Order: sequence, then structure tokens, then C-alpha cells
Amino acid sequence: MTATVVLAPVLDLRAAAPLKAELMAVRGQALTLDASAVERLGGQGLQVLLAAIRTWRADGCALTFLNVSEALAVQWRQFGASPDDLSADDLSVLGEPA
Amino acid sequence: MSDDPFEAIKATFFQECEELLGDLESNLLALESGSTDIEVINAVFRAVHSVKGGAGAFGLEDLVRFAHVFETLMDELRSGRKACDEPTVRTLLRAADVLADHVAAARGAGAPVDPARSAGLVAELETLTHGGAAPAATTDLAEDDDFGFTPIALDLAAFEAPAGLSDLPDLPPLPDLAALAPLEAPMAAVEGGWKIVFRPHPRLYASANETGLLLRELARLGPTRVELDDSGLPTLDALDPNDSHLIWTIELDGDASEAEVRDVFDFVEMDCDLSITPLNAAASTEAPAAVEDDEEAPAEALAQAAAADLDIAALLASVGAAPAAEPVAPEPAVPEPVVAAPAPAPVAVAPVAPAAPAAPPAPTPTPSAPAPAAAAPVTIRVDLERVDRMINAVGELVIQQAMLAQRVTESGLARSSDIALGLEDLELLTREIQDSVMAIRAQPVKSVFQRMPRLVRECAEMTGKKVRLVTSGEDTEVDKTVIERLSEPITHMLRNAIDHGLEGPDERLAAGKPAEGTVRLAALHRSGRIVIEIADDGKGINRQRVKGIAVERGLIAEDAALSDEEIDNLIFMPGFSTATEVSDLSGRGVGMDVVRRSIQSLGGRISISSVPGKGSTFTLSLPLTLAVLDGMVVGAAEQTLVAPLAAIVESLTPDAADIHHVGGVDPVLRFREAFLPLVDVAWCMGFSDQPTALKGGVVMIVETESGQRAALLVDAIHGQRQVVIKSLEANYRHVEGVAAATILGDGRVALILDIDALVSTGRARSPSRAEMQMAS
Repeated sequence: MTATVVLAPVLDLRAAAPLKAELMAVRGQALTLDASAVERLGGQGLQVLLAAIRTWRADGCALTFLNVSEALAVQWRQFGASPDDLSADDLSVLGEPA
Repeated sequence: MSDDPFEAIKATFFQECEELLGDLESNLLALESGSTDIEVINAVFRAVHSVKGGAGAFGLEDLVRFAHVFETLMDELRSGRKACDEPTVRTLLRAADVLADHVAAARGAGAPVDPARSAGLVAELETLTHGGAAPAATTDLAEDDDFGFTPIALDLAAFEAPAGLSDLPDLPPLPDLAALAPLEAPMAAVEGGWKIVFRPHPRLYASANETGLLLRELARLGPTRVELDDSGLPTLDALDPNDSHLIWTIELDGDASEAEVRDVFDFVEMDCDLSITPLNAAASTEAPAAVEDDEEAPAEALAQAAAADLDIAALLASVGAAPAAEPVAPEPAVPEPVVAAPAPAPVAVAPVAPAAPAAPPAPTPTPSAPAPAAAAPVTIRVDLERVDRMINAVGELVIQQAMLAQRVTESGLARSSDIALGLEDLELLTREIQDSVMAIRAQPVKSVFQRMPRLVRECAEMTGKKVRLVTSGEDTEVDKTVIERLSEPITHMLRNAIDHGLEGPDERLAAGKPAEGTVRLAALHRSGRIVIEIADDGKGINRQRVKGIAVERGLIAEDAALSDEEIDNLIFMPGFSTATEVSDLSGRGVGMDVVRRSIQSLGGRISISSVPGKGSTFTLSLPLTLAVLDGMVVGAAEQTLVAPLAAIVESLTPDAADIHHVGGVDPVLRFREAFLPLVDVAWCMGFSDQPTALKGGVVMIVETESGQRAALLVDAIHGQRQVVIKSLEANYRHVEGVAAATILGDGRVALILDIDALVSTGRARSPSRAEMQMAS
């Protein structure tokens, strides 16, 4: 089963805690992050997303970014974050969680 | 100034805020008038950012929150993601007003900001920031190059829907990220530039600052390579979203100075760990010998150094071992991969101009070495109280010098004696010191003018009129004592100009004028005074109506024959209006008596020039300072008086044949084919009940602010002197015909004449022909 979370347009300090809660609620399943609406990425929003990527990866679950807005792609890059992280975990490699 | 260091810093912050808000306003006005210069937008951003940064340091949350939203929109504008159109600029101007209100409220100098007003503007700013048709999607990636980020190739395949998600809808076209050049060497070494290691603390975010903005600011200084270290990041369940675990290493190329780099972190330095080191320092510490011997070696050495620097602990160790500092015992195993840094720059090598030019030639002489850069004006902030104390002291010095000079003169010493000559030198020196001290307090009128655009906007909004404010001469300097008291009268007159001087848009269009009215506010120096002009292109003074009101209120007789100028001046009559407060927003003429009084209390004059259908011009003429005055010391009936030199045209000994009497009563002096009212100063001031004898008397031809000339009759002229003005009102009370007082060299108090008042009231009290003949 794949959960989908739609990312808010602004992922800053104020958005970080709600985003974490939303993501934690779907932990343990494949996750698709709909990033089409993202306009602004802050340092703490980035932190939550990176922690989520790390967590899903450790869990052996797929985490996929969908419809990455250009704003997110650009800001992700400006933060020096790895574009590979933003792309997706390949389900074919990771497989579905047990 | 407060003894509490924190309060002192806070006071400095608010002083800076004043300047920043002034810059903000003027730059926004430049945008409003059509400027498209990106530097103007950058300047607006910087001003808001600086206010926010300082406010964050002092925990001024409301101010920080508002500034943050403002700043975010400015960031959109400067990145080109949002167009800087007219509605946006209008909103920004109103936001600047609210920002100023927040600053004033935080300072305790203003009422708390109306939450609804602030929230309304926040909503408008956010709408402008996020509204519109997905601005991010239209961003031209080329713009990002302007930021100086080195492009990174992204694997497009990575964006494709992964296998197993075939049920997902088709993906929209992806940005052409592949077009970007690949990053050849992610942290390749370069010559020059800086390596910045930055770890934000949670409170950096809590005070509404943002790493992304800092990174972008750095990118404006030159090409950057950004590396993110997320090794300290816990898993999501262990993550406190308010905590901060990320560390950035930024390599900045180019010739940005360390100060410029530090400026980026100006307001967050206390809220982060920060290390700024020259990029080439790492290489020189790694392989100093190789750099000189092998052309290829530096790159290699730098590359190695750069690779080593991926380990932040190693970087910090190398920073610690930087040359020119006391050798530090290497501590390779630093558990915390961060430097605790707000302290002075841990920079290893800073380019320093060669010292001691007289020293023997250096091993590598550089005859064409860059000369020291043109020194930027260096300024210091000084508590005004200190300056005032110094001004007072210099005032006393001037008086003492005058007293000494008088004593020497009275002692009968020859003018060529050493003491007399020395005194002359002392006088020159005293004058120079006084001028210099006065210059310290001189300020451009900009600080007053800057407050006016907001006033005009608010008045225009209230009256539904379209108004354009044009200012000129903002850099005209006036003493701070005058500046502080200029604001109220100008405010009132601008309000009047908009409220009743300008017509509404429809009326203007009907009169063949543009719908938008223009109000001009100008400052200039003229004859040792400052002149402020407030002019509108409105309908001019309705003289018939003004006269009607004056008759209605019993101020003038119904059949009074008045010139246009006299009718215009009726609006200054007390009782023409019922208002008593300068701050009233009301009809033209309302409260103008109060305005005139406040101008007069500054030793100034106000005059009007109005053309029906074309507009009105109010002219204020004020002294440059309220501290000193160039005066002519005169004697009148045993009294020593001072006449302001600026008002004196010339002086002469009158001939009895030149004195005439209008209607046998009002004395006039025939002066170059003109007849000037003759004012007997001693008689008018009440010093004598006998008219001054023409024989032996002296006449000073003076000119009033309105340009009217008159002849003042006194007993004798003692000489020209600079006098220190002491307020009579502050120490005694207002006396008609007296502007202020001063202390003479012999220690006596002398009154300084108010020429205009003397001329206007003296005419009515001058001795008649019979009385003058008796005196003669």
C-alpha cells in the first residue's frame, strides 16, 4: 500500500512539525510525496524531508517524490542536498516492505 | 545613554532602524517612480532583512514576524520570480508604514500596531508572495545562475515514476534540469574565495531567519559550491522538528572580502556556528612548499586540502593551525564537528596593506601595489547629549573670548600689541571651533522629508485624491535643533495642501489638469537661512471666501480694501479658525496661526504666494541653527541690542530732510527713491518715552522675510559680532519684538531683535511728526 502526502507550499519552521506528524502517521508503508505545490523550502522543512528519506530507507520502504515543482528542485539544489534524494527510492530495488 | 549594555545596544539598533526605514522608504519611492534597478530592490530587501535580524536578536516577535513576511516577498521580487508592478509597490509602501509602526511600538515610541491592520497587510504580502500563476513554474533557470550557484546535473530518470507505481497519473513535464552543466568537481579548489562552514542553531530559525536566504546571499557574492552534511540528522521519529542538525560547507569563489561574507551572517552570528576561512589557506597549510615549486602542485594540493576539508573536524583543526596566530596545539580528534564561532574571525591570512612605508625595500617590492582604497567616510555614533554639552561649552568659550576681548580693549592696549593680536587669533580659532562643532549637529533635512511620503499617502487615502509628492533638497543641512521642530509645521502644511489645496481627480480633469495632483516639498539654503517651500498645483486660495470668513468672524471690516497678499495672510490670523492644534487635519487656513507661531518660535517666517487655479506656495524661512547668530550690536536708549545680521541691508546716518510723515503721523525715510517705514527702536520697545534724536542717530535698513524693507532708528552701531543665542522664552517669556537674548562680552544680557515683529508692530507705535521734531 502506498500512502500519499501532499507537501504544503511553504515548508519552513512552521510547517516542519505538522509535516513530521503527517509523515509519522504513514510510517511503515511506501510513501509518495506530492511536491507539486511546494514554493518555498526552509532549512527545517528540508531537515524533516531528509530525515524522512533516511527513515523510509532504513525501514526498507519506498519514498517517492512526485511532481517535483521546479521551485523545490532549485531550492533543494541550492541547499546542497543530493538530487538523488529528491528523486525517489527505486521500488524495484528496495521492494515492498514485508 | 543607558548604562545597561543591552539597552545601549538596543538603542543603537533602533537608531539604525530609523536609517533603515528611511532607506526603505526612499528606495520604495524610487520603485514607485518607475525604477527597475535590481539594486534598488536589493536595497529594500537588505533594509527589511536588517530590521528583522536586529529585531530577532532582541526578541521583538511581532516585528520579526511582520518583517519576515515582507522580506519573503522582497526575496521573490529580487529573484525575479515576481514582477515588481505598481500594485505590489503600493502594497510594499503600506507595508513599510506598518513596519515603521512595529518598530515604533517595539521602541515604545508609538502605540501598539493595530493587529487587524498588520494582519491585513501580512495577508496581502503573502498573497503577493504565493499568489499568481505558480511563479515557481515559470522561473527561468538561467536566473539561478545569477545567484551564482554552480549547476548540478540531475538524473531525469530519477524523476520518472518508479516501477510499481504504474497506477500513478502521468507526470507533468519536468524542468529541463539536464540542460544544466554538471558539477565537475564538487568541492574543487580555487584561488581566492572563502570556505564557510555554517551550522544554524535552532534559535536562528526561531527568530525567523532562514538558511536558504543566507545561502542565496552568499551566492550573490560569487559562485558558490554548497555541500550539505546531514550525518548528524536522526531518523524522523527521533527528530525534533525545531532542532537543527544540518551543517553546510560553502565554497565561495571570487573577490568578496571577509567583511562582505560576514555581513551575510550579520544578524545570525550569535545563532549559529560559523567558520570563515580563505579557500587558499587550506592549501598553503597543507603544502606550502609545493605551491611555489610546481605549477600543477597548487591545484593538487588544494584539491587534497579540499578533500580533507570534507571532514569538518579536520577543517577546523586546520583553521586552528592557521598561520600568523599563536601556534595552537593540534587537536585532531574534535568530537563536535563544529566551530564555536561568533568570536573574531578565525581567518588565517588576511590581506593587509604593507606597513611602514619608510622601511627598507621589501623582498617583493610592488611599486604598483594597490594604493589604499579611497577611504570611505568613517562615522561614529555619539550620544546627542554629549554633543549638546560640547556646543554649550563652546558657546561659553565664545562668550568668554568676547569678554576677554572687551577687557583688553577697555584696558587701552594698542590693537597692534601682542595681546590684541593674540586675541584676534584666538577669535578666529574660536570661530573655527564653533563652526566645526555646529557642523557636527548639522543634519540633512532628509530625516524630516522621509516621513512625509507616508503622510501624503495617508492623506490621499483619506481624501480620495491622487497625490504625487516631489521632494528636492533633502541633503540640505540644518542644525538638529531646527530639524526636530520642522516636522510639525511641514506636516500640517502638507495636510492642508492635500486636503484643501488640491482638487479631487474629477475636478482636476474638468479643469484640464492631470487627475493626480502634485505637492512639492523643497529645501534650500538662502542668505544663511534654510528655506522650505511647500507648493501644490491645486486651485489656489479662494480669496473671496477667505475674505468672507474674515468679515464673518469680525476680523476685518466688511468694506476693508485689502491687497491679494493681505487677504492671503488673513489665514494666519488667530481666530480665522477655531483649531488650536497643529496636528489637525482640516481646511486650508485652519490652524495656520498655530503653524505661524511654531515657525516664529524657531526664529522663522512664513509667507504665501497663491495663484487662483494654479496652486499655492508656502515658504518657510528659518535660521540654520538656534544656537548662534551673526548679529549687529546696537545701542538704543542706554540698552544694548542685537539685530540679526541677515536682516540688515545697510546702515546710514539719516538726514532730517529725508524723513517724511504720511498723513502727518507715520514717519517714513526716503531711501533711494523709495519711502521706507521708519521704526524708532527705543520708542517701540518701550525703553524710552522720548523719540530718538535724528541727529547722531543711525538707521539700519532691514528686510523682513516677506521682502518688505524698513528703516530701524537706533542711537549707535557698536559692531558686528557672533552671539550665542539664549532663549528668552525658555528662561522668561515671549516678549513682542524680541527673538531671544544673548550674553555680551561684559557679562550683560542683550536682547536680540525680532525684526519682522518690530517692523509690523513698530509702525503703529512710531512717534508722530510733532514728537520727532521735539526730539530733534
